[in-house]
Amino acid sequence: MDPMDIVGKSKDDVSLPKATMFKIIKEMLPPDVRVARDAQDLLVECCVEFINLVSSESNEVCCREEKRTIAPEHVLKALEVLGFGEYIEEVYAAYEQHKLDTLDSPKVGKFAGIEMTEEEALAEQQRMFAEARARMNNGASVQRQSDSDRSLDG
Amino acid sequence: MAKADFKNHSLPSARIKKIMKADEDVRRIAAETPVLFSRACEMFILELTCRSWAYAEENKRRRLQKNDIAQAITRTDVFDFLVYIVPEEDLREEMNANDSLLYYYVPPHVGLWARS
Repeated sequence: MDPMDIVGKSKDDVSLPKATMFKIIKEMLPPDVRVARDAQDLLVECCVEFINLVSSESNEVCCREEKRTIAPEHVLKALEVLGFGEYIEEVYAAYEQHKLDTLDSPKVGKFAGIEMTEEEALAEQQRMFAEARARMNNGASVQRQSDSDRSLDG
Repeated sequence: MAKADFKNHSLPSARIKKIMKADEDVRRIAAETPVLFSRACEMFILELTCRSWAYAEENKRRRLQKNDIAQAITRTDVFDFLVYIVPEEDLREEMNANDSLLYYYVPPHVGLWARS
């Protein structure tokens, strides 16, 4: 990151999207309740301060473990140290869900696009075992047998 | 505190990273880390709002005000770090209101289990 990016900017310049914040705030309140504008702004400021606090502590945890990158486990430890241990379960759940969500994305694995039924896959597996056995027996010919569902004995 | 049913209000990762990076000591951040912050922030805001609202209700108001948030901050230990960002006049009001809450430490009786 170019250091010049931060010149002239203070922490106060970076805030959180008010619309999203307001939705979260409203979630906790009865529908007829209003929120004073300056109260809303203060809640957003508090949230930014919360990030600063947890971020700073996460960095300390990270350094103490002699790591260079702040990782999820550092954040979880920081939450515990700072007295927000109650959040850990939900926060970890969100992290796990995120991992699952990104796994489902189209660019997955070498076998994407290859579709087989289970029987086809099993037959293919048996054929590959037979070929491997043949190679092991130094090229002794192995007949491809139809009763290839015999399991391998140890 | 009852667990809220979280709808998906994720805060943008890029914004969270920017806030984190404003601290010069913070160097590298794993890509998935902002996801944890997003959920933690959501829980934090819900808790702070809930506690603030409790005070407004106590005072029979249907409008959440700045001093409600100030009182939530003074009444909750884990929110001590926020004391510096609350306007002093709001804080002073709440501190005065809490003057009557004094805690005394009572030391255990000395010598109760004295060995003969």
